[in-house]
Amino acid sequence: MATPKMVFVDTSLCTGCRACSVACKAWNELPPEKTQLITSFQTQKDYTYDTWTYISFHEKYENGKMDWFMFKHQCYHCEDPSCMKACPSEAIYKTDSGYTLIDHEKCIGCGYCATNCPWGVPMVNPQLQKSFKCTGCIDRVENGMEPACVATCQPGALSFGEKADMQKLAKERLAEVKKTYPKAQLYGDNIMGGTTYLYLLLDEPKVYGVPAKPATPISLTLWKDLVHPLGGIAVGAAALAITGGVLANFARGNYRKKAEDNDDINAGQ
Amino acid sequence: MSPSFGRGAMTNSWQDMQNSECFLIAGSNCAEAHPIAMKWIHRAKAKGAKIIVVDPVFTRTASKADIFAQIRPGTDIAYLGAIIKYIIDEKLYDEFFVLNFTNALLKINKDFKFEDGLFSGFDEATKKYNYSTWAYQLDENNTPIKADSLDDPDCVFQKIKEHYSRYTLEVAEQISGIPADHIKLIADTFAAAKPGNILYALGMTQHTTGVQGIRCYAIIQLLLGNVGKAGAGIQALRGEPNVQGSTDMANLNANLPGYLPYPTNAQVTLHDYAVSFGSVQHKPLVALLKAWFGKNATAANDYGYGWLPKNDPTNMPIQPQFFNWMEKGQFKMLFNFGSNSSVSIPDRKMVAKGLSCLEMLVVADIFNIETSRFWEEEGLNPKEIQTEVIFLPAAFVYEKAGTMTNSSRLIQWKDEALKPLNDCLPDLDILDRIFKRMRELYAGSNDPKDAAILNANWDYGEHADPFLVLNELNGYNDNTGQLTSSLAEYLNAPIGTVSTGCWIYAGVTPPGKNLADRRDSSDPTGLGLNNEYAFAWPGNIRVLYNRASCDANGKPIDPNRELIWWDSVQGVWTGNDGPDVIDKTKGPDTPEGKQAFRMNPEGVGRLFTASYTSGVSSSPVPVDSIAAIPVRGAGMVVDGPMPEFYEPIESPTTNILNPNVPTNPMAKIVSTEFGDPKDYPYVLTTYTICEHFCAGGITRNIPWLNEIMPEPFIEISKNLGKKIGVKEGDFVEVSSIRGKLKVRALVTDRIQTLKINGEDAETVGMPWSWGFASLNPGPSANNVTMNACDPGAGTPEYKCCLVNVRRA
Amino acid sequence: MQVTRRGFLKLSGGLSLATFATGLGINMAVAADRGYALKLDGCTKATSICHFCSGGCGLLLYIKDGKLIHLEGDPDNPINEGSLCPKAASLEQVAYSEERPKTPLYRAPGGTEWQEISWDDAIERIAKKAVEVREKTWVKTDEITDAKTGEKKVVPANRAEGIAVIGSAEIDNEESYLLSKFARLIGTPFHEHQARI
Repeated sequence: MATPKMVFVDTSLCTGCRACSVACKAWNELPPEKTQLITSFQTQKDYTYDTWTYISFHEKYENGKMDWFMFKHQCYHCEDPSCMKACPSEAIYKTDSGYTLIDHEKCIGCGYCATNCPWGVPMVNPQLQKSFKCTGCIDRVENGMEPACVATCQPGALSFGEKADMQKLAKERLAEVKKTYPKAQLYGDNIMGGTTYLYLLLDEPKVYGVPAKPATPISLTLWKDLVHPLGGIAVGAAALAITGGVLANFARGNYRKKAEDNDDINAGQ
Repeated sequence: MSPSFGRGAMTNSWQDMQNSECFLIAGSNCAEAHPIAMKWIHRAKAKGAKIIVVDPVFTRTASKADIFAQIRPGTDIAYLGAIIKYIIDEKLYDEFFVLNFTNALLKINKDFKFEDGLFSGFDEATKKYNYSTWAYQLDENNTPIKADSLDDPDCVFQKIKEHYSRYTLEVAEQISGIPADHIKLIADTFAAAKPGNILYALGMTQHTTGVQGIRCYAIIQLLLGNVGKAGAGIQALRGEPNVQGSTDMANLNANLPGYLPYPTNAQVTLHDYAVSFGSVQHKPLVALLKAWFGKNATAANDYGYGWLPKNDPTNMPIQPQFFNWMEKGQFKMLFNFGSNSSVSIPDRKMVAKGLSCLEMLVVADIFNIETSRFWEEEGLNPKEIQTEVIFLPAAFVYEKAGTMTNSSRLIQWKDEALKPLNDCLPDLDILDRIFKRMRELYAGSNDPKDAAILNANWDYGEHADPFLVLNELNGYNDNTGQLTSSLAEYLNAPIGTVSTGCWIYAGVTPPGKNLADRRDSSDPTGLGLNNEYAFAWPGNIRVLYNRASCDANGKPIDPNRELIWWDSVQGVWTGNDGPDVIDKTKGPDTPEGKQAFRMNPEGVGRLFTASYTSGVSSSPVPVDSIAAIPVRGAGMVVDGPMPEFYEPIESPTTNILNPNVPTNPMAKIVSTEFGDPKDYPYVLTTYTICEHFCAGGITRNIPWLNEIMPEPFIEISKNLGKKIGVKEGDFVEVSSIRGKLKVRALVTDRIQTLKINGEDAETVGMPWSWGFASLNPGPSANNVTMNACDPGAGTPEYKCCLVNVRRA
Repeated sequence: MQVTRRGFLKLSGGLSLATFATGLGINMAVAADRGYALKLDGCTKATSICHFCSGGCGLLLYIKDGKLIHLEGDPDNPINEGSLCPKAASLEQVAYSEERPKTPLYRAPGGTEWQEISWDDAIERIAKKAVEVREKTWVKTDEITDAKTGEKKVVPANRAEGIAVIGSAEIDNEESYLLSKFARLIGTPFHEHQARI
């Protein structure tokens, strides 16, 4: 049985070079997408079904001091993933090593995973009617290699290893950077059951454009834990209606950026 | 660096950066242009090293800095001069190092002066310096006279002190825009944390004062004792994968391979050449001629010296000038292997004009780049352009075997991993085929002009074999009939008995081996020396000038970073690295064993680049003893023995240090139009970014890279954005007197308005990697830049020109 | 549906469908006891050196049947220890790029388009032109002023004045060297490259 793994994302060392994004596409054979400069040096706007990891850039100028923060986005591989809860076809599953994966034979492309993820990670390819996201390079990891993004990272912002080792490293790094960035914090260790990608941030999560307290909505929990166990997909229209309501609420909760923005990106291919 | 240390190469290595306690990264955006540097810098940072970044723009490198200072482009010498003054005034220098390993004590000619913006010896008519006063006081043996102490008013140390006395922190602030207390903080931080490491790249060289800026670094590092040690030094981060190697191979008009001076028409015979440059250059030239002409090179025929074309010093255009030489009709044919001048040359309209005047342009490259497609550019009428163009599809790096030499002089071999795509051929085969065909066409000719071709030693097999070429670089020993086994064997062999295509590569392929192909990455010292991985010239030394890491007794000064030491039992210099000494058996108590800078005629690092030739050339030189002319000349910096601040050629302000000589009086001016700050009030600086490489000929054809950086942009301050009514994402027109372009604006806090000489000054910045061809075409920044070059290096001032920016 | 990713890529011929293939790659291990197939299985490895900045980072190419399957950093190269910047990480897209010209190309004087020509044709045109330009622009001697005596004298020049060569910092040492040698043998000292810029 595989032991729990972890990727430690030390944003204090990230230079925003985006080699991770390219290496991800190279390993997973993902096509390029048409982009443009959005703000600062950011060009990839959001997750898409062909972009599983990207960097956002955040500029902060206060009291004469410039900070330029970079944040690598990919699936967090939560211990308690809401996408898995939301999936009506039981296509999403967890591995012993800690990864959250989509079984595409079961995936029906309904998109509930996408809309229920607090970060909006999974994205449905409408042509294929399947949902896609970072796999954690499970094929590499299970064969003794580092994930492609980690292997390529030159400034040393990404580390991969046993979960306990990474947690220790993260705490050491936090203590170090707190000397110069008092607001520094770890992100991921106490949300969504703990995430397999653990971050060191130099400032509050909102500075990086990510939710401070991402959570599975209560209505989804209700559905998943009370209604859904009765009959899986067969529960049918009633359960789906509840889910639909959950989704609507969720969208208003603004965990996601506007869906149409994503469509623009995909349409531009 | 060469005039200061004796070699123009990066002193340490990438891996060695992990040993530093402090970095001054100024003139380099290494997180973007040399991302591998950040791996090793962050290793050092994890151990507590400090990072100082000085740049006109807050870059991705700056985002990782402990101290960042925004500087006005082209004013480095002002704040570096202030740091030199501060180090001397506050006695922060390393006295042992300064006394033993620099020329600080040597006395300078009493007629040397710096007055009103000029050093002594300037000739107004020719705009050149006569070096006669930039000299040492010599004794009867032609040896420089040493002062008793650093207080001697004639000594180099006092000359430096006096010269930089004008460079107060306040003056530096007025010129550079960096607050005085910030300059002080940089100086204090860098002087306190040793070993300190300076990283620079094109941000420092692309100025009309580029060489002198680097000279400031050399002076600072010599004063602080930061040369020849692990974690110290000056890292010239070369811009291209093999720019170290291609320069070693003398793809420049002033050299032959191995940095031999190129013969001019005044040196009619080999004897003349030897008299001019001494035996240190004579021997490698003979070895080179033997490599080029094989058995046809004999002592009787001057080893074929007469077959070499001779430079006419009055007609020696450098690459940025080549296109003018086409326009004026001298050049009819251009061979262009692997470079993209149509994007990369400043004031780039000159390029198309020049190429249009050629009879034939031959371009070999991976993609059909802007240079071969110059006639297709919008605005030109191809029907009027009579240039024949031949494009040759070249094999890519992993489709051919051979070596490249990285920035830290590491020669790495690679095999052919993939067959060349389609009909592509390695450049080696292309050249081989062209040369062989020309040789056939000249077969039987008795015309002396064809003798070089017909007598050439050129046989690399039916399909040119790169290993045979590498063997030619390594060289052969006539006495053994074998490949030369080491640099030492080459150096000890009598003149005329060894060949080498590039003497500094001697030892790379000893008999039966290819040391460039070594793959042992072990690192027993933990210092990142990796001595058994590939091969570094010279003689596999990883840290240059490492004699300076030892004290007067030859013991390592830093017990945690031991490079070499004197083994008194065995009577040899030995250690973890190859000792960079004249003779391994000459101990620290001998004159040779004290020298840390053996390539300089004085044997020490040069704070002041005095004119000096060691040894005594007997005059007249007996014809039969040219092998024993024991002279070695010092490398000179043509525009002054100490760096002086001059404004960029296009400047928004006056020169408060040198009001009568505002710009470098020796700058090579190529452009013909210069803007007035009234019309073009902002300073444009240009650079590359992480996602694209140089002229973009390759990277703009890589879809994944076009995704992560799809377009060029201009970065402007929020103040300027407000002033001209431009928001982030808007398109603007950027214009200089030479041209214009339209591009998206990023309005950012990463550039701030500076206060220069009491006035607000705006800097704007733009990457230059775009051109009209490729999958990702875009406007070239070099539409607007200016072509004026450093007088020594010939590097154009890409980093500063005047522009206007307005809403498009 | 058991197809390998590469196989699926070929079958589909579409990039977005290749994405689906990737998804299937993971799908091959729906059950925990199933192994996760590695696309590198059966590949041979070859090392190379990055084409971009002067770091000299090592590349590792995974090759099957002469085809490049994947490229990443060489973990055994002590400079980069397997890491690569985005430019290097993207280099497999050069190997089979449709943008690379397939043969030598020729553009005639006043021409408005390229035509494909053979290597033999290209080499012949180039060699003949180089000979022609050498013949008509050869400078045999220069007149110079002797630095010591101040007298004018005629000295050998031996130059093909009409030919210029721009070399490259992006080609191998052996190629750079041969270009340097070639230029001087045919008589042109006008040999430069982008080291200055």
